[in-house]
Amino acid sequence: MNNSKGLKINRREFARGAALLSAAMVPAGIAFNEPPAAASNSQLPEDAEKLSAESRVEAEARFQQIMSQYGSRFDSEEQKSVRDSCYGLQRSLERLRAFPLENGAAPAVYLKPLLEREEKPQSAPAAGAAPTAAAKKP
Amino acid sequence: MLKESILYESVGELAKRIESKQFSPVELTEAYLERSQKFGPRLNAYARLMPVEALDQARAAEKDIHRGHYRGPLHGIPYAAKDLLAVKGVQTTWGAKPFAEQVFDYNATVIEHLKNVGAVLLGKASMIELAGGLGYSYASASLQGETRNPWDTSCWTCGSSSGSGAIVAAGLAGFAIGTETWGSILCPSAFCGVSGFRPTYGRVSRRGAMALSYSLDKIGPMARSAEDCTRIFAAIAGHDPLDRSTLPVDRAAFTYSPAADLKRHGLRVGWLANVWKEYEPGVAKAIQAAHKILPRHFASVKDAALPEGPWEEVAGVILQAEVASSFGELIRSGRVKELHDPQGRVGGYANLTVSGGDYTTAQRVREILQKKMDALFETYDVLATATLPAPAFPLTMSLDKGFSSPDPLGAIGNLCGLPALSVPCGFTEKNLPVGLQFVGRAGDDAAVLQAGQTFQHATEWHRKHPNLR
Repeated sequence: MNNSKGLKINRREFARGAALLSAAMVPAGIAFNEPPAAASNSQLPEDAEKLSAESRVEAEARFQQIMSQYGSRFDSEEQKSVRDSCYGLQRSLERLRAFPLENGAAPAVYLKPLLEREEKPQSAPAAGAAPTAAAKKP
Repeated sequence: MLKESILYESVGELAKRIESKQFSPVELTEAYLERSQKFGPRLNAYARLMPVEALDQARAAEKDIHRGHYRGPLHGIPYAAKDLLAVKGVQTTWGAKPFAEQVFDYNATVIEHLKNVGAVLLGKASMIELAGGLGYSYASASLQGETRNPWDTSCWTCGSSSGSGAIVAAGLAGFAIGTETWGSILCPSAFCGVSGFRPTYGRVSRRGAMALSYSLDKIGPMARSAEDCTRIFAAIAGHDPLDRSTLPVDRAAFTYSPAADLKRHGLRVGWLANVWKEYEPGVAKAIQAAHKILPRHFASVKDAALPEGPWEEVAGVILQAEVASSFGELIRSGRVKELHDPQGRVGGYANLTVSGGDYTTAQRVREILQKKMDALFETYDVLATATLPAPAFPLTMSLDKGFSSPDPLGAIGNLCGLPALSVPCGFTEKNLPVGLQFVGRAGDDAAVLQAGQTFQHATEWHRKHPNLR
């Protein structure tokens, strides 16, 4: 009955896959919390000083991730600009994550179920078939 | 040919003249077209003028009115639409080279609404590339080049609705349509000395508008008075089954009723004295003067303070994550390199690294902040402060320098989907306009528009216009 059986993964497998994927995306030095080789203090953006040590590592990991995927597109000035934006983003994230949230605090956007289909005209039922619930609607 | 002073009249005044047949929509359109052809290129105000289509629409309006089918105050009034709104068969560039040849085969819902009330589309207004969503450092960040401020052509109009601001300020059309994700209606309105209205999120359909940030983008009018904004808003507001982000029918629609608005009880104003870190002296003077006259015209004016943030951080993370979705393909493909601004070419890459977890956290904090702001509106009907702490700055100045002050109210207003209006409230010593903004509770667009009208009944700043030669 279920032709997607071969693709089915359980939640634990999904979580493990996701964890492996994210580890793969971060350069090895970063993943083991070693200071990133690419960033000497003289190269770091101004925002770096305002970040915690963990956040600096994370910001640098963002930068390295971009460089590993798209680095050939940038000249040195552009690389500096990308690094600045990674550190700028990290500052925002640090403040955002510091905001106290209860576990049950729900996000501002909520799912608006797609109900329009109930209002659309149904295709003509086969002869003798009972009308659908939607078709009975005025 | 119509006098220049007529071209600076409000929509309400122009409508009376059209209805009483003092001049026809065709005469008015021809006059605005001639002026637009003369000053538009100097200001870089238009992405595209549409003279043939405009005159066709004007002739149709004239015929209708002649037959007695007058459709209301926008009938026969020429306007410009920001170049991120789809117009069937006409290039819609989003101000950006990668989309320079883009043509849609349908009209944006806003364009349809304005067509239905007989407004005449004169052309597409220039704009900052991709509404500035990938970042930009200079006024020149546009396929059309930098838009010049009609009050001082060595200064910028602000963005991203740059052309819309210039067109209204220079009297090139009766009104314009702009859009705002974060400051793109209010800032050009303040810099250009026009009245600009950002409606509550979800009241105006965005179908056919370039999507930058799905939960922040809004469309609104820029015009010569708050009353004009009210009339235009009434024409474009409403639920759209083709845009699921619009509010339900009864909450999205807005009816223009001047008598009812003016009979409404006096408004309670919360004066935000400490929103801006510091003011440029010319702006401070104009804002103090505006503050002084408010108590004579409003039920109460009391000092107010914004709740604790982190406003800008939350708005920033949401914006960056949503831009990573709306323009992810442009960034990943490398075509982002075709953008004009150096910052725009690289700014989007960091956006791609915002995690789903952080985006969701930002949305959870947003919910809390929305409630905090809603509670503030138990005490006040509208909040008021300067739209910006500085006037228009030189075209060559970097935006980092020009916008050095944090903007918590811009973040709050857009994050919480609150309506806001910027109205002119004076000039600096260098004759550059200063804007005063009113911000209201989500859904109470009427209070914000009424506040603007009340202020403009007591002042004449909105009637000033630049001396273009």
